[in-house]
Amino acid sequence: MKLKIVQKFKQMPPNERRIYLRELLINNSLYIFLVAAIVLIQCMNPRFLSGPSIINIISLSAANLPIALGIAGAIILTGTDLSAGRIVGLVACVSAALLQMTGYAGKMFPNLQTLPIPVVFLLVIAIGALVGFINGYCTATFHLHPFIVTLSTQLIVYGALLLLLMTGNNNGQSISGLDPSYTNFIKGSVISLGSTPIPNYVWYVLVITAIMWVVWNKTAFGKNMFAIGSNSEAANVSGVNVKRCIILVFVLAGVLYGVTGFIEAARIGSNSASTGLNYELDAIAACVIGGVSFVGGTGKISGVILGVVLLRLIFVGLTFLGIDANMQYIIKGLIILIACAIDMRKYLVRR
Amino acid sequence: MKKRILSALLALCLFLPLLTACGGGKGDDVHVFYYTYSDTYISSVRTALDAKLAEAGLTYHDYDGNGNQTTQTEQVRTAITQGARALLVNIVNTGSDDAANEIVGLARDAGIPLIFFNREVSDTVIGSYENCAYVGTRAEEAGLLQGEMIGEYLLEHYAETDRNGDGKISYILFKGEEGNNEAIYRTQYSVEGANELLERANKPALVFYDRANTNGYLVDRNGQWSAAAANEYMTTVLTSYNAAGNNMVELVICNNDSMAEGAISALNSAGFNTGGSSPAIPVFGVDASDAAKSLIRDKKMAGTVQQDAAGMAVALAHLATNAIAEDRGLMDGTEGFTVDESVRKIRIAYGKYLG
Repeated sequence: MKLKIVQKFKQMPPNERRIYLRELLINNSLYIFLVAAIVLIQCMNPRFLSGPSIINIISLSAANLPIALGIAGAIILTGTDLSAGRIVGLVACVSAALLQMTGYAGKMFPNLQTLPIPVVFLLVIAIGALVGFINGYCTATFHLHPFIVTLSTQLIVYGALLLLLMTGNNNGQSISGLDPSYTNFIKGSVISLGSTPIPNYVWYVLVITAIMWVVWNKTAFGKNMFAIGSNSEAANVSGVNVKRCIILVFVLAGVLYGVTGFIEAARIGSNSASTGLNYELDAIAACVIGGVSFVGGTGKISGVILGVVLLRLIFVGLTFLGIDANMQYIIKGLIILIACAIDMRKYLVRR
Repeated sequence: MKKRILSALLALCLFLPLLTACGGGKGDDVHVFYYTYSDTYISSVRTALDAKLAEAGLTYHDYDGNGNQTTQTEQVRTAITQGARALLVNIVNTGSDDAANEIVGLARDAGIPLIFFNREVSDTVIGSYENCAYVGTRAEEAGLLQGEMIGEYLLEHYAETDRNGDGKISYILFKGEEGNNEAIYRTQYSVEGANELLERANKPALVFYDRANTNGYLVDRNGQWSAAAANEYMTTVLTSYNAAGNNMVELVICNNDSMAEGAISALNSAGFNTGGSSPAIPVFGVDASDAAKSLIRDKKMAGTVQQDAAGMAVALAHLATNAIAEDRGLMDGTEGFTVDESVRKIRIAYGKYLG
């Protein structure tokens, strides 16, 4: 395969060769930037690529991956999902409230025994799925743009979250004091790399990502999703149940937000109304950086992973270099802009 | 047909709460404007104040400014047209006097007493309207008390806190928000306060863990004072500053307790601050939230600064009662409180909380 490309390249006339090389460079500029950034940060702070640091980057990325995978589905349908972050927040607070340790001083529901972890997990997944269903149902049935629908559900979910924080004897405080069985399940470590433990949630996210890869690439549902994203009329005419597919995409997204929130609650250990705020924007940024286009119908799991990792690399790298937060905004903004411009260029060339 | 019934039902559902809310027929006396419902400390003020106002026999209405000054100013306008008799405002923008002046103008035109609280407005704003007062803390006090607490702790536990034995204490500081006076003062005075005590005892000043960072703090980029921001910074920092590298961060200073909780969660993952006899890095916060108190009790956190939500509510309810009673001045009967000399500002004291 590789050799064929080399042969083809050799047969090209010189000016075509130059164009080919230039396109190659531009289309892979994100990877080039990634490598250059890693090399640069590594030169300035050699601890950047140490074992613990790499595992930290992987775990930070893992915590942010499920929400991005969920939102990616909505973007493939030429939509978006603004409610994602608040759903993560609500789910995190519900998980925390139900899994506080017994006898904790500020326990929200003092008489509640600590519930079994799977029960709470299924419950919060159901909450995510329910909001996702509302998003999908309104989008598909009333032909509303998901921007509007999810803007509304974002507010509704936030209201519910604020109400939740005032219930029991919680009094608006952050929900902490989680049961050790829960924090161990998420943050504990079964496998260590050298002396650095790898938190368990990395493995859960790995499994979820694998499942999502199969769903996107090997199922009829996945193919229908991409078909609707490219051209929903054509998909409809060729017999795809468009409405059902849209609803399913949002339900699946809701489930993934549920997973994110369930992990987030134990990972951070303290949950309040600000939990999950703006997470959807980071997730959307990760998707578009990774080539999940707002044009619709395109995107790869590997792209989403690349986007999430790149954003975390910027965060970790700039923290390592001691550069202040202001620069992070500028760099992040530039990367999103450039990545999307390159992405659009591919379509313009094709047309 | 079905759809029509459904939409009628939906509409009914939407209006029901409104109908019950208007059951009293007449508007509420006191209108309270909170800068955001998502702040844990402000939530405890709200619960305490709701109870105190009800106790004083006043009806009240609470508003959520959601961190947006425009929203809050519109809420104030609406409340005035509804016939509010006293306005209690926890203003959103503290950077300049503009927002506060606008609200003072609205209240003065309508002749309604106005009480700012928790987020401070300048003396000139309070002085510009005779029926205007402020209830709150001194912004610099929290940082100074935190610094004093840190200094005292260090003088007592210097050798064990200085883990690598280089004679200096390296610290990390988490700032809640850029451009917020409380955050600025807490960031500045906590370190200065601690250094003052250290200097007096002939100890070297605190050293920020990372010399490349000239700010001397790490800030929550969303301005949320959030546990998540502190947690992610802390886990990242611990990968290169740790016990194995003999350069462990030796002291953690946080602008509030949420950030302290996030930092402790990260330290837990690295085997620190898990309670009992496990090695612990001293972590200091502000607010004395329930969670922080519990962490301090379990020896996972060193100390916090208490903001007196109940005391704030008592002072506010007192002023609100004065504002509504026709035969009383706004500041009548405030001798029991700490009042500034030249301006109508009631100060609620902060306190150290060490468990």
